[in-house]
Parts: sequence; structure tokens; C-alpha cells
Amino acid sequence: MISKLDLPDIQGNIVKAYGRYGFPRARYVFYQINDSTKGRKFVENVTPLVTTSVPWSEDKPKNVPAVAVNIAFTYQGLKHLDIPDDTLHGFPDEFAMGMKARRDIIGDNGPNHFEHWDKIWNDPADKFSQNVHVLIGLNAKEEGPLEAAYQQICGILAATGGVTQLVGHRGANGVEDLPYQSAIASDSNREHFGYADGISTSYFEGCRESARYVVGGGKPTGLDPTTKEGWAPLAAGEFVFGHADESGAYPEAPGPPLFSRNGTYMVYRKLHQNVATFRTFLEAEGSKFGDVETFAAKLSGRWRNGAPLATFWTKESANQFVAELGALLEKSRLADAGQGQISDAEKAHLAELRLQLTAYDYNDDTTGAKCPFSAHTRRTNPRSALQFGEKKPFDTPGALSNRRRILRRGLPYGESPANTTDADEHGVIMMIVNADLSRQFEFVQEQWINYGNDFRLSNDQDPLLGNNGFNENGRGKGRMLIEGDSQTNRSPYFCSGIPTMVETRGGDYFFVPSMTCLRMIAMGIVDPT
Amino acid sequence: MANQMGNAYALTLLCPIRHGVPQQCPEGLGGQTSAACVRYLLQDVMRVSLDSPMAKVPNTYLSRFYILEDVPYQGKPAKLEHLGSNYLVFCADFHGDLDTWLTGMWNAIQPEICGLLQYCFGFESVHDCASFITWIKKCQVETTFFFDGSTDEPLAVQLKNLYLKQEFSKFVYANQGNGPETIQANFREFVALTQPDNIDAPTWKPGAYGLDKVVSGLKTQGAG
Amino acid sequence: MSNIAGKAYAMNVVTPLRWYTAWFNKLMFWVSGHFNFVTKGLQTLSLIHYARWVVIDGSQFPRLSDKQPPEELKYTYMLFFSNFNGSWDQYVDSFSSAIPTGLNIFWAFNIKYPCSVPMLPFHRYITANQIWTDHYYNAYPMAASNDVKAAQRVRNGLLGFIADTKDSSAQDFQLKYNQLLMTLQHDVSQMGPNPIVSLSAWAVEDRLRKERPAAGA
Repeated sequence: MISKLDLPDIQGNIVKAYGRYGFPRARYVFYQINDSTKGRKFVENVTPLVTTSVPWSEDKPKNVPAVAVNIAFTYQGLKHLDIPDDTLHGFPDEFAMGMKARRDIIGDNGPNHFEHWDKIWNDPADKFSQNVHVLIGLNAKEEGPLEAAYQQICGILAATGGVTQLVGHRGANGVEDLPYQSAIASDSNREHFGYADGISTSYFEGCRESARYVVGGGKPTGLDPTTKEGWAPLAAGEFVFGHADESGAYPEAPGPPLFSRNGTYMVYRKLHQNVATFRTFLEAEGSKFGDVETFAAKLSGRWRNGAPLATFWTKESANQFVAELGALLEKSRLADAGQGQISDAEKAHLAELRLQLTAYDYNDDTTGAKCPFSAHTRRTNPRSALQFGEKKPFDTPGALSNRRRILRRGLPYGESPANTTDADEHGVIMMIVNADLSRQFEFVQEQWINYGNDFRLSNDQDPLLGNNGFNENGRGKGRMLIEGDSQTNRSPYFCSGIPTMVETRGGDYFFVPSMTCLRMIAMGIVDPT
Repeated sequence: MANQMGNAYALTLLCPIRHGVPQQCPEGLGGQTSAACVRYLLQDVMRVSLDSPMAKVPNTYLSRFYILEDVPYQGKPAKLEHLGSNYLVFCADFHGDLDTWLTGMWNAIQPEICGLLQYCFGFESVHDCASFITWIKKCQVETTFFFDGSTDEPLAVQLKNLYLKQEFSKFVYANQGNGPETIQANFREFVALTQPDNIDAPTWKPGAYGLDKVVSGLKTQGAG
Repeated sequence: MSNIAGKAYAMNVVTPLRWYTAWFNKLMFWVSGHFNFVTKGLQTLSLIHYARWVVIDGSQFPRLSDKQPPEELKYTYMLFFSNFNGSWDQYVDSFSSAIPTGLNIFWAFNIKYPCSVPMLPFHRYITANQIWTDHYYNAYPMAASNDVKAAQRVRNGLLGFIADTKDSSAQDFQLKYNQLLMTLQHDVSQMGPNPIVSLSAWAVEDRLRKERPAAGA
């Protein structure tokens, strides 16, 4: 049942998280279309630059572009490009409304409300409107090529006319009118709270990523999760239109079929991180809990060094694991660069260790003693945990999670030095790929991040991402249960006062067309008749 | 008895609604059918207060009304057929036995329920609690399969449980990290305030929306 | 009024089945009631307060007067009532993904039932046969089924603990308190209002609250 994806037709950012492919720098540029004919001309002129999902083999270095370019459109963007009403009406409500209008569903209230967003997202004439039409993402290894690609696109824009590049992104030092959003991964691959990021990703049929990523990235089969047999690829239709999804059908998509096939949705969200608040809270509460790093691990489900709690539930084992893995990775890197050697046995051991980063499930942890039910990674990807330890209550072990998976793309932005404050510009640009906004992204946001009933935790929220809020005394209102361990006689820890750590500062819902669709949009020939 | 699962009872009624235009109707509904009047009353019953009258009927976990106007047609080659009358469908999940519950309903909301059911066939025979129960039982249909995904305790117990869960949760989080003497002293206060063995008070009010409105019977206000 | 009351959703579905297969359906229900392999999935999903199925033919429709014509129906009818937590989509999806066999057993002989997998035809089947609730009452709008069950454990645990520690020293008290917390740790999360699963339902509720006087204290 191997689905063959037409990779040259699918845009590259769907299949690849560029950050993990050695492309740590990005610029996200947004446009508004004022003239539909010129808008289509702009699309036509940008399309040849667009990077596809064709695999970048190591033996063909020419395949790897200096800059990866991708383009996506909001509902209003498509409308302003003269996409016919019949096709537009085939989009679901949530896409047509745009992310601002969905704020009550996804919890973008209080500090997350769009009135606090970067200016680019709010047209002063009508704050409720969807004024952003087009997103062009540029990803590169080096600043030079990135700037060159950006200038090239600016040149195309100037020559075509009829399209405005929107400004209004916040930057460092109180700047509010930047012409694009920059993002850059740190050398250590840590995000601003200090957690190693980009470790696991959803693995789907035909994605042509390295096969080892199916472990932990696919769906659980019920066999040993520490082995490849414990996992199977997710159906491609969870992430790409025109292919069967996990429910055994094609995902709903607007017509004509050629318009949506090989396209998908992408949620762009600028998430500001209150780094100073986080650090203060971590120090204070972590000390009360007993150990700061352990507390940090409990919040996330992974130690900050990346080791998963479910497998390495003591600090010592986590540190030892990461040290060993790091040493072998370094050896391998040196060997690749011709500066050292690595034996076959060491290579095999490296492969085993790498697997341990994602080869786990929660079947041995049905009480949450190792990884709390409320931990961020357990909430957003419960694997088989929603069986609550019952023997085969459902058709498949991941039945309640397999259709809630997303692809995470995007990178951190800004800096967070030791003396940083919450007002400083830093956070993460989250880009979430899925074929169904309300069933995947919005569901996870509403039911698994801002609520707790599926984990039998009443109204508790995700400690890191939840819209926790503050009470009158300025104390955070978030709560989290850190389960006790009957084997070691450790009592449960009831953590309260969790402040809002992450705030939405902008974003919208985008449609990422296939290459075929891009050409059809440019030609102005989309017709669902 | 498939109507029951332990102490939880599943009552299903199909009350046939009189045909045509009734002699008496709610204001503004002159010329409308009985079924339309029934529906209007159901939809508008919370005009005065946002509390449902069903909140006053003891031991009611959940209940609903809808009007069944016709049986659903599945499309060819399925046969097309029709019901001879409209039915007021009433479904209630409650604790205890039927007679007691119906008596509780009669005593608590006789005007509202009679105002609604007067549009149904045969309701003219109802003049007291006993005849009410007789009439209701004529409208009852047997439950084929009842799934209880919750508990079958009396409602008052469920509400007290919920009140305690909420208050004890606050206690547990507030006392995290306190020493044994402090927790013990605070717990004694907690018990005095929340009275775990007193089902009646303090507790949660049935049908109450909103954290600020849900507690009833609290003797002392303020921090506990 | 809406199908929603706080954290609960009232789903009503009426579907026809052939009279000569109705007995088989009733048998399947009987089996489910007595063998937990069918209901284990439902219990683990833990989304339902109470649900019921009623299978009746024309002769079983209540007839209370000569003026009321007897029902002459060729099909038998299945009335389904559920009180569940979460959104309509989540509920229907979880049945279709997690316990499709169980669903099929209950609905297999309903006319033109499309099978619970794939999902879209099943969605359409339910929607086409769903009847909207005119009035829905929930005794605890802020409690999901999980909360009601957890609350029972909390109170029972507390009563036992209170009896057990009547004469305890502070140290003994703390020991037993920690044991209590270990037992009840997953039952003491705080409840609050339902997340807004539907913007239209929320708009109606919001409007009613503003336009109608608030309930008495």
C-alpha cells in the first residue's frame, strides 16, 4: 500500500522541514494583491523559483538549491486572484474566515488577541479583515544567498506591479515596521526556552524522508515501539490533498480536483515567548519541585537536551544518553569531513541511539509517573496513550491520535540573552501543515492544548502553550499535575501559578498549492465546471 | 428491564400531539398548530430565567425534548412512509424509580409540564399526580439498550461530589509544599467549610452555568 | 434552542430498519449489555454520560385516543439518544476511528446505513437523520462525564480519609494525605466552562445571556 507521491508537483516545505536540512535561516514575506491580472503575473513570475519536494540526494549536490522558495495564499488572496466562487465555496469555513475570526475556537483571546499582533496583520481601515493575501517563504543556509533571493523577488514585484509587499513586523529594539519576518535556528538547535527542537516529525507514506523517521513519527502498530515494527507511515492524505487519508477516503478539498491535488493547508503563527517569565518561573517552581531541569522536562515531556522522558525518566540517564549520542554524532561528522574515522560497530550503535530519541510510547507509563499526562509533547502527540492502559479497546492503538497529527515547519526568531525581558522580540514562527484545519490544527489547539478532558484532566491546559491567564494579583492561573511515582514513593506535585509563556503575535491560514495549481492560477484558468 | 442500569433510569416518552389548531395557544401563536405551540413553548421556556424548569425536578441527570414530525426518508429504493401524528419525544436520564421521579416532576413543575402536555392526546384525563403518572406511562416506550457511561448515584450525591472535587482541587493546589501541621489545620477548616458528609449543603446547584453561580448553601463566604 | 448544554451535546437520531432484521439488532444490543468486549471501547472513550437506543415498530407508538390514527409503518424504527462531551465532529470521528465494529453492529441493519468507515458517508448519514433538540437540560453543565466519575472517587476517598485520620498526629496525617493524593491525583483537576466548540452555538448563547435577564442567585 505504498503511495507514490508526485514529489516534483508538491511544494518542498510540505515534505521538508528546511531547518533540519541545513537551512537554518528564513525570511517570511507577505503581500496584498491590488490588481488581479498583475497578481497572476506575479505568481507566474515567482513560480519558476519555487522549490519542490524532489529529494535532495547527497550524490547530486546540484539538486540542493541555495535558497528554498515557497508560496502560499489566504482565502482572500485566492479571491483577489480571481479564483472562481465555486472553487472558493469549496473551501471549509475555517479557511474562508481566516485565523483571526477563529480566535474563540483556538484560544486567541486575552494576550493572544489580534489587537496585540504585529501591525502587518491589522488593516487600520478594518482590523477584522484578512488583509494578508500571499506568503513567500525563503529558506537558506547563508545570509548572502538569502538576501539575493529576496532582492530577486523584490525585483519581480517592482517589475510586475499591482501587488504590495506588506510591512509591519516587529523587530528588535521596539521596531514595528519591518518588511519581512526573519527567523533563524540557533547553532545548538535549541528554541528560546532552552529545549532542543525539531526532533520528531510526522512521517507519512511517500514523503521519502529517511526511513528511520517512521519510528515515533508514524502511527503506532501495537508492536514494540522501540523497534521499526512498532510503527507504520501515516496515510499521505493527512497532509496532502488528493491522497487517501487515515479514514480511508480522500480529504475534502475544493474543486476542481486538479486545483487542490497535491496542495495542502499551512497555518502560520508567530508565537512570542515570554522568556524572562519562563526563566523566573522555572527557577522558582523548579526549585520548589526539587530539581530545575527535571521540572523543565516534566513541563515538556522531553528533557531540554532532547531525551524523551518516557524512556529516560532520570536526569542521569538522560544526560548519559545525550552525551553518548553527541559523542558519536561528532565522530560521524568528523568522519564525513575526512577528519576522523568511525567503525561499523560505532555506526550501528549511533543508529540505535538516534532511534531512542523517538522510539517510545506510553504503554509503560499509564500512570504518568515518568511523563505527565499534561506534558506538552504528550498532549500534542499522545501516541497510544488515549487507550489509558486498556487492552485493545479500539480498532488500532493510535485510533484517537492518528488523525490529529500535524507537520511542524518553521524556525525560532529573535534573541534571548541572559538579561532578556519579556518585551524583547523572540519566539518561534510556527508553520503547521495539515489537510484539515479544523480536525487537525484547531482540534489540537482547542481540545488538547487549551483543555484537558481527553486526558481526564478537566479544564487543565498545556503548561507551555496554554492560554493560562493571570489573576488580579498578577499570578499565573495555569495549573499542572506532575504525577507521583508509587515505585519511588515520590508524591504527586500540584503545580499552580503557571503564567502565560507563549502569546500569539500574528498569523493566518494559507493554502499551499501544487506546482500544477500555481501554473493554473497564473494562467487564470481554474474552473470547477 | 432495559430501562434501568443499576439505579439509573432511562425514560423515553413519545407523546402524541393533537392534530390541527388548538383552542388555546400561547400569545402570538393564533392559527398555529398544536405541534408549533409545543415547540414554541420548549424553545421559549427560558425567557424569564436562564435556568431550565427541569432543574427543579429532583434526581434528573439530563433530559431533552424534541418534536418528531415524521419518520426520515432514506431515499430510493427505501420506501417512503409517514407518521400519522407528531410526537413530543422526551428523554430523561435520572436516578431512582419512575413513580418517584414522576411524582417529583408533578410537585415541582406542574404548571410548566401541564402547559406543555395539554396539547397532547388524552391529556384531558390528567387532573392529579396519579392520573399524570398513568398518562405518562401510556406514552412510555421500552428502552432497548441503555449505556451508562457515568455513575448511577442520586443527583444530590453527584452534585456534592462535584462540589467537593472542585473545592478539594483548590485545596490541594493551595497547600502544595506546606508542612504537615499547616496542612492538617487547613484541612480541618476545609472539612468544616465544605461538610463532605452533608449531601445537602454546601453543594452545586443543578443546572447552574458559570463558576460564580454554581455553589449553593455555603455558610461562610470568603477564602476557605 | 441548541443541542448543547455546557459540556454536553444532545444527539438525536431516528433511522428505519427492516422489521424482519429488527430482532437481530435487539440481539446485538443484548449481547453488548452482557459482554463487555463491545462496550469496553465506549467506556475507554469516556465521552458519554448516558446513551440509549429504542427500537420500536408502528404498533408500539403510543396511542392515547381514538382520534389519534394508529401508526401503520412498514419499517421498524431505531431512536438513538446520546449525551456526550466534545464536539459533534470529535464524537462521530472517534466512533468511526476507534470503534467502527461496534457502531456497525448496532446500525448494520438500518436502511442504507453506509458503514462507519469511511467517515464522510457516515457523517452524512448521521446528519441526514439527526433531529435537533428543542430543549436540553444538563444538571452539571461544567462537568464532563470524566468529571462526574472522578468526583465520585474524590468524595469517597475524602470520606475514608477523614475517618482514617480523625486522631492522627501531624506526621501520620501527612503520610495518609500523600497516599490519598497519590490515589486521587488524576481526579482533582479543576472544572470550568466548556471550550467554545461551535461559533454559532456560542453566538446564540451569548445573545440570550445579554438579551434575557440573568438567572436568580
